[in-house]
Amino acid sequence: MMQDVPANGPRELPEEIDEQKRVVYKELKQRTLWFIKLRWFVPPSIAIGSVVAEQIGFRLSLGILFATAAFIFAYNTVFHFMSRRQDPDIVRERAYIRNLTRWQFGLDFGAMFVLIHVTGGIASPLIFFFIFHIIFASILLPPRSSYGFATMVVAGMIAMTAAEVTGRLTHHPLVLNGKSVNLIELPVHLLIILVFFGASLYITAFFTSSIMTMLRKRISNLVDLSEAVKRLNRKLNALYAMTQAIGSIRRFEQVLKIVTTELGQVMGVVGISIKLLSQDGKELRFVAADGLVADVFKSKVVEVAKSPLNREIIEGKPFVTGHVTRREMFQFGEDLAAAQIQSVLFVPLVVEEKVIGILGAYCKYPERFTPEEVDFFRQAAGLVAVAIENAQAYESIEELIQERSKFMMRVAHNLRSPLAAAISILDVVRGGYQGELNEDQSEYLRRIDRRIRTMLAMINELLSLAKSREVRRALAHKPVDFKLLAGRIERTFQDEARHKGIIFEMQVPGTMPVIQGDADMVEQALENLVSNAVKYTPAGGKVRAEFSAAADGSVKIQISDTGIGIPTADRAQLFSEFFRAENARVMDEHGTGLGLALVKEIVDQHGGRIIVESEEGLGSLFVVHFPGPARRLD
Amino acid sequence: MASKGSILLVDDDRDIRDSLRIILEGNGYTVRMAVNGREAMESLESNMPDVMILDIMMSTDTEGFDLAYELKNKPQFTNLPIIILTSFLDKVREEGPDQYQHILGESWPAKWMFEKPVAPKKLLAKIESILGV
Repeated sequence: MMQDVPANGPRELPEEIDEQKRVVYKELKQRTLWFIKLRWFVPPSIAIGSVVAEQIGFRLSLGILFATAAFIFAYNTVFHFMSRRQDPDIVRERAYIRNLTRWQFGLDFGAMFVLIHVTGGIASPLIFFFIFHIIFASILLPPRSSYGFATMVVAGMIAMTAAEVTGRLTHHPLVLNGKSVNLIELPVHLLIILVFFGASLYITAFFTSSIMTMLRKRISNLVDLSEAVKRLNRKLNALYAMTQAIGSIRRFEQVLKIVTTELGQVMGVVGISIKLLSQDGKELRFVAADGLVADVFKSKVVEVAKSPLNREIIEGKPFVTGHVTRREMFQFGEDLAAAQIQSVLFVPLVVEEKVIGILGAYCKYPERFTPEEVDFFRQAAGLVAVAIENAQAYESIEELIQERSKFMMRVAHNLRSPLAAAISILDVVRGGYQGELNEDQSEYLRRIDRRIRTMLAMINELLSLAKSREVRRALAHKPVDFKLLAGRIERTFQDEARHKGIIFEMQVPGTMPVIQGDADMVEQALENLVSNAVKYTPAGGKVRAEFSAAADGSVKIQISDTGIGIPTADRAQLFSEFFRAENARVMDEHGTGLGLALVKEIVDQHGGRIIVESEEGLGSLFVVHFPGPARRLD
Repeated sequence: MASKGSILLVDDDRDIRDSLRIILEGNGYTVRMAVNGREAMESLESNMPDVMILDIMMSTDTEGFDLAYELKNKPQFTNLPIIILTSFLDKVREEGPDQYQHILGESWPAKWMFEKPVAPKKLLAKIESILGV
């Protein structure tokens, strides 16, 4: 049975909590106001009670009694009007009510002392009324106040009794028909005590229970809320875990596995399934299932044409049912029944408005999925869809990279082999194995050899260039040890420099920061720069390579020479492929023109910068910056 | 003149085979040839050479390595010195010694690799040092 998911979700949690608070305070306020209402009865009761008692035969200080009654009436009126005031600010209202309550109790106790004093002091039956007063105070007021009042009452009673005993205060004993009332002597005395005692107990019980009931209800509400918060928190954590998985794990199967297990746990269901739509949109294939349904659905395929249910979901409508009754609706209804699944929830997996599949949850309990849960499941589906797209995209990119790499390798091999063979043959002839050669023959064969070697070098450099231009080699992010590189470069070029009569200096500081990157590529770049410097510097000149580190962890390498320099006109094209400056061409016929193009490519890939300064006839300075781990300079 | 040693040369490229043969024979070695892994194995089994020069990429991308790996598991060949020729020194280096360690490992004598085209002097010097002539 299709259910529509409500447009607006459940109420926001902070609102919910605020509402509960308001309700609690309102009810407490009601209770306080009740007290005021009850107090209306007190002055008349005192008046009537005193008159009746006089009739019976008691002798009482009517004057004081009536005065007290009037006093009580007066302050109750004041409280009545003060309590009408409503403050929309809960915090202020709460404080106001508390103060009102304190004043009520304070004044009540004052009146009580007077009444007790004139009806026998410590022997007065009215002292029982203090009890429910104090209980009420403890419920409505913070502990300090209630203990304070209790102390006040006890101290007051002690003071009053002491004063009466020592004669400072006149003792007003209860006198019935001229005789002092001895509480145990006559039944009527006991009756009086018991009546007052009983009344206080019942009043206490009444007020206390009604308040406690109210409080208990509210406490249980708050517990529920707290549970709701915890559940929400768990769901958020699950969503977060899934987001992490999307970010860091690339492999398709792993992503699916994490998603299904996390979701299953958080939703508390026995099974989660993911079906993906085929390219032609005709089939839904189960690609992952967790829990009970894993075996049921392994590798099963749903034909979309045959399943109106799935078609509707693909069109965007989620499907929820609390009772899997009409099994024929489900293509695998029998399997669901066998697994005792009663509640089922399906939502479409959508990426950029394109449906790529269906996410399903299965539960053994009926009526399991509330609108809240459906909402959450839809959000999760959003993440799952993105994760799947990413993983698939990553895998196809990886495949492409692999294929391309293999292709490049075969291309390079096929280009190199014939050249290598040609050189081998030349070696045989030039080595005199086919007979001695005259000078001219030797010279011409040497030229052939030279051209072929240039071509081999060009192939190598083109291959490097192609490799470095591939989709960023994120695979080669390892620490680059510049000290090691510097050492190797020094060894590579020092002999050549010496033969040419050039001074070759290398300066590396004691410690170099470690940069993440492709060590081979970086070495290649530096080699090309030094190779150029050596090549284009005539005898008697100097080549210098200086490594330094900046405070921000970046590395600077300066390669300078006193060579032929670079003409200003050629500066712009210096890093273009195959470009050779005129003066360089003169110095070395057979350069490939690819060296600097490769250097620039490599520096760019590492997020660095390269700067050239040169003057024709004086020399050149190449400065390369490789950024530290924190920043990239692009 | 007595032969300085016998060499088995395995390469599918005719020009490489002919050139190296001429150079090696011209320097006093006996040379036998094979064009692929299977022929090489047959030749090895019938006649053990003193050194084998082995190309890697022949009819398949890793034919040379496949042969070397096969030989590693046959006790009679564990002491056969093998010089590997490849157009692709970079690739082999790039794949890492880990990949090919089982062939190029310390414990096994196929630890010399040259990139084609190999300079005749270098090759001859290496063979001399292996054979101790």
